Amino acid sequence: MLKIFVLIKQVPSLHNLQIDKQTGTLIREGVENIINPDDLYGLELGLSLKEQYGGEITAITMGPPQAEFALRECLSMGVDKSLLITDEQFAYSDTLQTTLVLKETFHKIKDYDIIITGSQTSDSSTGQIPFQLSEALDIPLITDIFTMEIENNIFKCHRNFGHESQNISVELPILIRVRRHFNEPRHISLSGIKRAFEKEIEFNDFNTFNCPEYLDGCNKSPTNVVKTEKIVIKRKNEIIEGNFNEKVQKLLKIMQEHGIERIWTGDMI
Amino acid sequence: MNFELTEQQKLVRRSVRKFAEEVLAPVAPTFDREAKYNGYIVKELSKVNLFGIQLPEKYGGADLDSISYAITIEEISRICASTGLMLSVHNSVGAYPIYNWGTEEQKERYLPDIATGKKISGFSWTEPNAGSDAQGIECIMVQKGNDFVLNGSKIFVTNGAIGSVILIGTRYKTNDGQNGIATIILEKDMEGYEIGQPEDKMGVRGNITTSLYFNNIRVPKENILGSLNDGFRIAMQTLDVGRIGIAAQALGIAQAAYEHSVEYSKGRIQFKRPISQFQGISFKLAEMSTKIDAARLLIYRAAFMKDTKKRFSKESAMCKYYASKIARQVTQEAIQIHGGYGYMKDLPLERYYRDAKVTEIYEGTSEIMKLIIAQQILRGNL
Ligand SMILES: Cc1cc2nc3c(=O)[nH]c(=O)nc-3n(C[C@H](O)[C@H](O)[C@H](O)COP(=O)(O)OP(=O)(O)OC[C@H]3O[C@@H](n4cnc5c(N)ncnc54)[C@H](O)[C@@H]3O)c2cc1C
Repeated sequence: MLKIFVLIKQVPSLHNLQIDKQTGTLIREGVENIINPDDLYGLELGLSLKEQYGGEITAITMGPPQAEFALRECLSMGVDKSLLITDEQFAYSDTLQTTLVLKETFHKIKDYDIIITGSQTSDSSTGQIPFQLSEALDIPLITDIFTMEIENNIFKCHRNFGHESQNISVELPILIRVRRHFNEPRHISLSGIKRAFEKEIEFNDFNTFNCPEYLDGCNKSPTNVVKTEKIVIKRKNEIIEGNFNEKVQKLLKIMQEHGIERIWTGDMI
Repeated sequence: MNFELTEQQKLVRRSVRKFAEEVLAPVAPTFDREAKYNGYIVKELSKVNLFGIQLPEKYGGADLDSISYAITIEEISRICASTGLMLSVHNSVGAYPIYNWGTEEQKERYLPDIATGKKISGFSWTEPNAGSDAQGIECIMVQKGNDFVLNGSKIFVTNGAIGSVILIGTRYKTNDGQNGIATIILEKDMEGYEIGQPEDKMGVRGNITTSLYFNNIRVPKENILGSLNDGFRIAMQTLDVGRIGIAAQALGIAQAAYEHSVEYSKGRIQFKRPISQFQGISFKLAEMSTKIDAARLLIYRAAFMKDTKKRFSKESAMCKYYASKIARQVTQEAIQIHGGYGYMKDLPLERYYRDAKVTEIYEGTSEIMKLIIAQQILRGNL
C-alpha cells in the first residue's frame, strides 16, 4: 500500500498582511490563517495519487496549536490522517531545525513511500525544506514534474525545466517538490467537513522524540534574523524618443542593460 | 451563551466562500444578463455536495447543522443570488419535507439523487388565484381506483425548468367523499406534466421560473407525502424551514453590497478626500453593518431553535421579514454610495438591488411574515 505524506504549513493570509514596525516580523494576531497556497498543489497531487494507485495519505505540519485548523482543512479535502508537531520548544525553529524535527518524525514513521512538499511558504519564502529534508533522509528529491506514473515501487516521471526535459525512473521512497499551478487543487466538499471533525488528529511534542536536546528550535537554530526591512521599489517612467527605428534600437539597448538577453533580432519591419 | 461559530462552522464558511469566489463569481453576471442557467454549474455544485447540505450521510448528504446551512446559502448568495435561490429551495423546501415526512421507501427513492443534484427539487404551491392565501389553491386530484388523477396548474415555480422532483399542494377528493389539501411528489417525466415558458424577471434571473401544467396526471398513493389530509400543515412547517434559507439569501446579497460600498467609499475621492470621510457616507456604512449583523443574528437564532427542536415559526418569520427588508435597504444605499457608477450594469450593485427585492415576496410576503409574527404574539408567544 502506497504511503503518501504531504507536508503543509499554516500561514497568515496575504490579504491585509502587516509588519510590526519595531521587530520587523509579521503581525500574526487577528490575521486569518490559511494553508500555504503552494501546499495545496501538494495536497491535490497526494490525493490524486491515492485515487489512482490506492494507499493512505497523511498530512503533517509543524506549527502552533492553532495549526490544527489547517489539518482539519486537509482532512476535509480527503486526507486520511494528520499529524501536528507542536511544542513551545519548537517555536522559532529555522528551516534547519524544522528539517531535523521532520527527519526524526519520518524515522519514527519508518514506512513512507512518497513525501510531497510545495515549493515554498508565503510567509518566509525560503523554499529550503524539500532540499534539506531529502538530504537528511537520504532519499531522492524530484522537482519540476510534468507527468508521472508508479509501477512496482518504481516512480517514473517526465521533468521539464527551463529548456531541458528529462525522463527519469527512481525507486521509492522519494520526496516530490511540486511546482505551483501543477494541478487544480480541489475544493472542500461539505460532506468532507463533518467527517474531518470526527477524526482524531495525532499530536507529537518535544518529548515524543528520543533525542530532544538537538531538536530544540528555540535555542539551537543557527539562523539569526538580523534585520528585516521593507523594500520599496519605485516604478519609473522613461519615454523613448525618436522615430520608430530609433525607438526600437534604444529599447533593445535598455533591455540588454537590464540583462534581458534573449531578444528577437529578426527583421524588425 | 456563545456568539462564536464552531470551528466546523468556520470551515464551512471559508470553504463555501472560496468555492463561490472561484467558481460562481465568473459566471454570476452572465446568468443574470442572459437569464440562462448553465448546466455545468450543477456538476460543480454537486462536487462539493451543495445539494444535500443537511441530508444524512446515508443518503449521500453532508449532514450539517442548520447554522452551517444558513452560512452556506449566505456565502453562495453573496456571489450569485440565483444559485443561492436554487440551493435554498432545493435543500430546504424540496429535500427537507421528503426527509421529514417521507416514508422510508420515498426517501430511498428520491433522496440519493437529490443529494447529488442528479435530480433538482422544488416546491410549488402558488397558483394564479392563490398566492398569500395558500388555502385557496384550485389544483384538484380525484381518486380513480387506487390512484388519483390530477388536474390544474401552478405559477412562479423556482427550479421549474430544471427541477425533476417537485412537491406540490393540491385539493383532493376520495371515493368515499373525503376532501382536503394534500402535498404530493411529482416527477418531471410523469405523463401529463408540462413545463411553461420561462418568466422574464426583474431579479434572480439566473434561476429559471416557470409555470407548471398538470393534465390528467396519474398520481399513485406512493407519491403522497405524509397522510393525505396533512398537506397544508406540511406546507406551513416546510416554509418555516425554507424561510431561514431565503433570509440567508437576502443576507448574502446585503453583505456583498455592503462590502463593495466599504471598498468603494475608501477609494473614491471627491472634494480631495475619500467619500468615506464624509459623515453622510460613513453613517450609511454604520447603518448597513448594524442591520446586517442584526439580520445574521436573527437567522442564526432561528436555525439554532430548529436544531434544538424548539418551535421556531415566529423566529423564522422574523428573520425572513427583517433580512429581506434590510437587504432591500442596504442594496439601495449601496447604489447611492456608488453614485452614477452604481447605476451602471458594469458594476454588480444594480443586480444586487434587483435580486434583493424578491426576498420580500417569495416564501411569504413581508406582510404575511408580520401576520405570522403577530398571530404568535397575540396567541401569547410574546
Ligand atoms: C421569483 C419568484 C419565485 C417564486 N417561487 C415560488 C416557488 O418556488 N413556489 C411557490 O409556491 N411560489 C413561488 N413564488 C410565489 C410567491 O411565493 C408568491 O408570489 C407570494 O407568496 C405572494 O403571492 P402573490 O404573488 O399571489 O401575491 P398576493 O398574495 O396577491 O399579494 C399581493 C399583495 O397583497 C398583500 N397581501 C395579501 N394578503 C394579505 C393580507 N392578508 N394582509 C396584508 N397583506 C396581504 C401581499 O403581501 C402583497 O403585498 C415565487 C415568486 C417569485 C416572484
